[in-house]
Amino acid sequence: MADTFIFKPIRELARLIAGREVSPVEITQTFLARLEQYGPHYNALVTLTPDRAMDTARQAEADLAAGRNRGLLHGIPWGAKDLLATGGGIPTTWGAAPFRDQQFDYDATVVTKLEGAGAPLAGKLAMIELAGGMGYIHPDASLTGPPKNPWDTGRWTGGSSSGSGAAVAAGLVPFAIGSETWGSILIPANNCGLAGLRPTYGRVSRHGAMALCWTLDKLGPLCLTADDCGIVLEAIAGPDPQDGSTHPEPFNYNANFNPGRRYRIGVPRGALDEAADAVKENFEVAIEVLGDVADVEEMEFPEFPYVEITSVILMVESASAFEDFLAEGGPRELSAPGWHGRSPYARPAVLATDYIKALRLRGIMACQVDEVMARYDVVAAPTAMNTATPIDQEFRSRSMTSAGAGDLMGSIGNGCGLPSISVPSGFDGDGLPTGIQFMARAYDENVCLSIAREYQGRTEWHTRHPGEPDI
Amino acid sequence: MTTNADNSLEQELLFAIIKEKYGHLLTDEQLDSVRAAIVGQREVFRPIREYRLTNDVEPFANFRPFRGD
Repeated sequence: MADTFIFKPIRELARLIAGREVSPVEITQTFLARLEQYGPHYNALVTLTPDRAMDTARQAEADLAAGRNRGLLHGIPWGAKDLLATGGGIPTTWGAAPFRDQQFDYDATVVTKLEGAGAPLAGKLAMIELAGGMGYIHPDASLTGPPKNPWDTGRWTGGSSSGSGAAVAAGLVPFAIGSETWGSILIPANNCGLAGLRPTYGRVSRHGAMALCWTLDKLGPLCLTADDCGIVLEAIAGPDPQDGSTHPEPFNYNANFNPGRRYRIGVPRGALDEAADAVKENFEVAIEVLGDVADVEEMEFPEFPYVEITSVILMVESASAFEDFLAEGGPRELSAPGWHGRSPYARPAVLATDYIKALRLRGIMACQVDEVMARYDVVAAPTAMNTATPIDQEFRSRSMTSAGAGDLMGSIGNGCGLPSISVPSGFDGDGLPTGIQFMARAYDENVCLSIAREYQGRTEWHTRHPGEPDI
Repeated sequence: MTTNADNSLEQELLFAIIKEKYGHLLTDEQLDSVRAAIVGQREVFRPIREYRLTNDVEPFANFRPFRGD
């Protein structure tokens, strides 16, 4: 029976549950067993939460028996990046040894919302320690060891939502929640062949999530399909009095959204300049495929110090968020203490006027970018320039100065708080996934989800899954 | 006008502050790493400082007075 619901999109799982072909208890038990058996193999699992999951699953089953179905996520288990607070004695490690025993007496808003939708929390998933906030260049910067890519365990999942990527790609949970400050949802989605949605900043409450950078942190789903991402986003989005940055309006996912005309897609000039051959080829084919429904043109963002603005904000806010941790020598206890040219102790060395100037420039940046973005439904680019890198090698050897030099989409998207979705665009010669991202204007998640769905309706990359591990 | 020499001095002064504040936690090798990172950050600040803004351009952040009642 399990074969009928592993690697099934949420809408299909919901149909099976609603039709009583599988029960919330059965589906939860199956995914708990998979997460327990295979999670450690991929270094994807921090804490299994079976009691909590089964409580929710049994309630979901009782609700169904009483004729109450809370929606598409009713009875569908999920995994949480281990920076989301969970009460009830479940640790929240932030992926870092110094916090391995940390506990909270409350749940993050996202956890509350998903459980309220009837979705059982199956486990807390691995992540790069402190979401990469202390700087890291090796995949082993994680409490639970280097996260392994289900497509090739000699490769990295990407970070920092590493376990969320691995667990969904390996069919250990139907979906997971990750977070992105700069790349931490889109890169694992790229490396693991998943759909990963970075929502607009403020769309999803950050209450109960570890703060790395208050004005850059976003929470979002990693799923099998773009449609799944829309379903999960609707469940977790919305205003929250406990997070003053949240947008006042709820998000209503429109699975039938259509602009009523051909889509307009912009591709930044030079977007493929640094791309590996397979990434470039797959992107070009993807653009051809989208030619069915879209007009595509090359475009340019105005010249502006996007990377530098976003970098300064990240440096200063992360240094402040972890000020006490730094002062107490906390980085010494990390797997990757940052003694490699990206030292966390350099981050406080920023003049206040430089930080404020970056915030002033951020407003200009947001206006200029929106003016350009308004000409298009989405701006498309490869999600990453390469497929997953070897797990035992530096994935990025450049300094902070040039870390994002080629990451125009990342610096603009995160600096301006724009939504973007990555979906798989094919594979390279080694069988590793490549990704294409669609970035939309602020609050236009339905637009980028729509074009991603159009693409996935014309391709089958998202239907491919890695084989079961031989353990 | 800020010169490269001024910038180098600035980075050294910033490094001195960090060393004063956190030096007891760091080995000489780690301090070298911090110094290298601070020098690298100069290139991050440069285009931000070069950009001219008029007096009326505010930080892109909201401040709202608060009343709890």
